[in-house]
Amino acid sequence: MSLVELKAVRKSYSLGETQIDAVRGVDLEINAHEFVAVWGPSGSGKSTLCHLMGIIDSPTSGTVSFRGQDVTTLSDDRQSEVRNDSIGFIFQSFNLVPVLTALENVMLPLQIRGETKAIAHEKSMARLREAGIEGHAHHRPHKLSGGQRQRVAIARALVTDPDLVIADEPTANLDTPTAHRILDLMREVNRSRGTAFVFSTHDQRLLDRVTRQIHLRDGVIEEDKLIPS
Amino acid sequence: MNPWLQIAARSLARNRRRSIFTLLAIGFGFAAVNIFAGFTEYMFVSLRDGFIYVYGNGHLTLFKKGFSNEGQLEPRNYLLTESDLAAIKAACKADPRIMLATPKLYLSGMVSNGKSSSIAIAFGIVPSDIAFIASRATGTVSSAKLYYGQPLRDDVSFGVGVGKGVASKLNLNPGADGTLMSPTVDGQMNALDIKVVQTFNAPVEALSDKLMVVPLSFAQSLYDTKSVDRVCVLLKDTADTDAVMQSLNAAFVAKGPAVEIKTWYAISDMYERTKKMFDIIFMFVFIIVMIIVVISVINTVTMSVMERIQEIGTLRALGLKRHGILKLFALESGLLGTLGCLVGLVLTLTTWTAVKIAKPTWVPPAISHRVPLEIYLVPHYLVISFACLVTLSMIAAIFPARKAARANIVESLGHV
Repeated sequence: MSLVELKAVRKSYSLGETQIDAVRGVDLEINAHEFVAVWGPSGSGKSTLCHLMGIIDSPTSGTVSFRGQDVTTLSDDRQSEVRNDSIGFIFQSFNLVPVLTALENVMLPLQIRGETKAIAHEKSMARLREAGIEGHAHHRPHKLSGGQRQRVAIARALVTDPDLVIADEPTANLDTPTAHRILDLMREVNRSRGTAFVFSTHDQRLLDRVTRQIHLRDGVIEEDKLIPS
Repeated sequence: MNPWLQIAARSLARNRRRSIFTLLAIGFGFAAVNIFAGFTEYMFVSLRDGFIYVYGNGHLTLFKKGFSNEGQLEPRNYLLTESDLAAIKAACKADPRIMLATPKLYLSGMVSNGKSSSIAIAFGIVPSDIAFIASRATGTVSSAKLYYGQPLRDDVSFGVGVGKGVASKLNLNPGADGTLMSPTVDGQMNALDIKVVQTFNAPVEALSDKLMVVPLSFAQSLYDTKSVDRVCVLLKDTADTDAVMQSLNAAFVAKGPAVEIKTWYAISDMYERTKKMFDIIFMFVFIIVMIIVVISVINTVTMSVMERIQEIGTLRALGLKRHGILKLFALESGLLGTLGCLVGLVLTLTTWTAVKIAKPTWVPPAISHRVPLEIYLVPHYLVISFACLVTLSMIAAIFPARKAARANIVESLGHV
């Protein structure tokens, strides 16, 4: 069974009086352990596709299944539970909660789940250590560099041991050495834990590192190819 | 600390200026409600204790049954006889909650200084009993100066007190002689000499030029009767008023005499009218304050929500449910309400202390002399206004937070 399966998925937006078809009838499967980049020019629908896979958006038509369950029919609360249990997010602009420290940001998904503070603290420190950022655990985001923030965001995305991590342009705001270090980190997690990663990107540095490239143009998959590692 | 409370507290601290202004709005609202409530409580307690202790009316007044309706038209038929009075006193003595039962006889007539006369309403009292009732007063009213001159005495029946208005109108100051005329119980005109031993401030200024207080024996002589028209009962505890009334009613229904019993609040029109008036004013003040607080909180939370839409989108993406977002902002707002009320409590205590130290005085409406102005701390008002303000603050947050919680996650994440 595939981890995520999209069948005949369409997503349209209204922008004023204009109808925009961001995704037009996409069929796609993402399996566990995959390290995938969805790429294409701006407006090709790659972010929308990632949002649909991450269950933070609903398709206009078609179905999105996660571990064989059609998530488009789930209630908002149930979708929230699936996200919290099984999906991690890494955002281009990091999206850390500014009033919380790095550690508290990483603890958030566990506390949303209802874990005790002690367990959340222990797991979060472990993830920060893996991300090489434990020395900044008690710093607030505005005291961290872009790379450090992204490491915190990665630690937050991984703290619940998700099956899938959706990363929207994760290296876009990073310099090349930092981008490589971040990619190394994510690849290591992918290899060691089998966590699937789906990147929305047009960053060549990232495209060179993935094992599968899905090329989108005008809301349809133009090419879907496996890259031998 | 609970992570949501932590986010709420730090978010408030992050927008310090805006939070301070909202805290002050809530704080001043809380203080306004409680200072006003404290002032009205002072008014109510002063009116109550003034009626019960200062003016010697006690907590309960017993009349012959039917006195309220027909007593003015047929006074002779509604007097309590000596045997009635003895039975009433015996019943009162048997109840440990009762301290004193004292007879009174009210009469109306004319008071004269020999050259001119004026209408008079005289209360025939037992001076030692009334002095005892006055001695039980506590708080503000206990310091009230009851009269100017000498106290009335049980054994000097012609020594009377007159309202300041009577004294001024007829030049009947302490030491002056005069005459009090009144119809007897049989309707014959009667007159007795008086010696003014004291003047006093009437409870209502409009009656100052009519009121007199005379020993009961004098009133009975003038009225040509051994009877009285009422018995005032003083209790140890005001809170027992209704219970004692019920007990006495039951006792008198069983054994007689046939009496009707009125509580102090049923007789004191002034208390009831003033209380109703201040209750209405308080309600308006309370509603206005609540509206101001709700608008302030809605404004603050709306601005906070607008600034944190991306954060809300992130929390939703991480799996926080819609009601979790509501809870987050309700907590923030509740915290704002709680801190605001604490600021209000400090303002209330400061005002209360300032009034205690400054000891201002004032002349209330219908009162002819200055009295101390006080503000009471009323625990139940403090608790209720605290609970109302915090609850309303939390409810006020729901409207803007609900909109944010229901927003599309992707749109929230893309909000700049």
